[in-house]
Amino acid sequence: MQTKLTKLLGIRHPIIQGGMAWIADASLASAVSNAGGLGIISAMNAGADWVREEIRKCRTMTDKPFGVNIMLMSPHVEEVAKVVAEEKVAVVTTGAGNPSRFVKAWKEAGIIIIPVVASTALAKMVERAGVDAVIAEGGESGGHVGDLTTMALVPQVVDAVHIPVVAAGGIGDGRSVVAAFALGACGVQMGTRFLVAKECTVSPAYKQKVLAAKDISTMVTGRRLGHPVRAIKTSYTNQYAKLEADSNYPDEKLEEFGVGSLRKAAKDGNVDEGCFLAGQIAGMVNKEQTAAEMIEEIMAQTEKLMEGVKWEV
Amino acid sequence: MTTLEKLKEILSDCKGEDIDITPETTFDELDFDSLDKVDIVMQIEEAYDISLGENLQLSTVGELIAKIDEAVANK
Repeated sequence: MQTKLTKLLGIRHPIIQGGMAWIADASLASAVSNAGGLGIISAMNAGADWVREEIRKCRTMTDKPFGVNIMLMSPHVEEVAKVVAEEKVAVVTTGAGNPSRFVKAWKEAGIIIIPVVASTALAKMVERAGVDAVIAEGGESGGHVGDLTTMALVPQVVDAVHIPVVAAGGIGDGRSVVAAFALGACGVQMGTRFLVAKECTVSPAYKQKVLAAKDISTMVTGRRLGHPVRAIKTSYTNQYAKLEADSNYPDEKLEEFGVGSLRKAAKDGNVDEGCFLAGQIAGMVNKEQTAAEMIEEIMAQTEKLMEGVKWEV
Repeated sequence: MTTLEKLKEILSDCKGEDIDITPETTFDELDFDSLDKVDIVMQIEEAYDISLGENLQLSTVGELIAKIDEAVANK
């Protein structure tokens, strides 16, 4: 299915895979790209060498375009920003801030830039800096979240900017893709569903958590420290919530309590100390499939629902 | 309207209530989150038709006023 997004990126289906830290590596990114979506490698807090290696590995696994997600608060952001330009990756998505200062160098390298935004003001700011599209991510998503929901955020961002808008947060099947189109988006970004893709190298325990989750299984913690994240409820998140509510518990210790918890979930499958980030649609994710099977299923449902619909997307 | 008055209007709008500011007020005291700060910068830039640059650090109201006045003078 062709939309403004597929034309911009030169891909078959308007689906971008979320840049999930500790999870989105060359294996998942290449699988999504081979299936006609846009796979993304997460640069998370990694250094330049790891990112370069992953990009090169991904190139051996797919000849389709793929991207790198750059977390702007990473201590290695400057060097990683250079690596993606040197490697001339097709697409960069960014999270946790305003990437304006990198736009010139990335455009010179021919990179398509798509920041994740959680408000209209940030969308306008990055549009002015010269980015190609934005991903408007609502708080239904897993990981770092803003307050606005996808339903409220996407149409307001669509009205605020003139560049293509991709919807994210709460999207996991064809119905939600069509809903995103109705809100004015021309594509979607999905993370949670791809967590259980066969090519996803996340720990088996993480996949089990997602497969077992129901609609009310996720919660948001970390508001007190100014970086709220959505994760599947576990003894870890419950304990975090308790400490967070205890005003006598110092911020520094709370910060310490969170360190390494995502790695423990994603890599070690540690169900006691891990933080299993996932979005609210985890309850809809009930089976492991290949990335290609997921995308085909989603697009078949999307196209069926779009029959006779004359929106321009 | 002075820059301080305009800024008071923008910051109050973002806070959802009237707030008192002086040049000495710090942004730490005002306790805006990152999305609020982006919104404040956008509102200022649109109101004055200026650009405050990409790496703006918000410390005190007085410093921000100086930056706005400088950008307006250089238009």
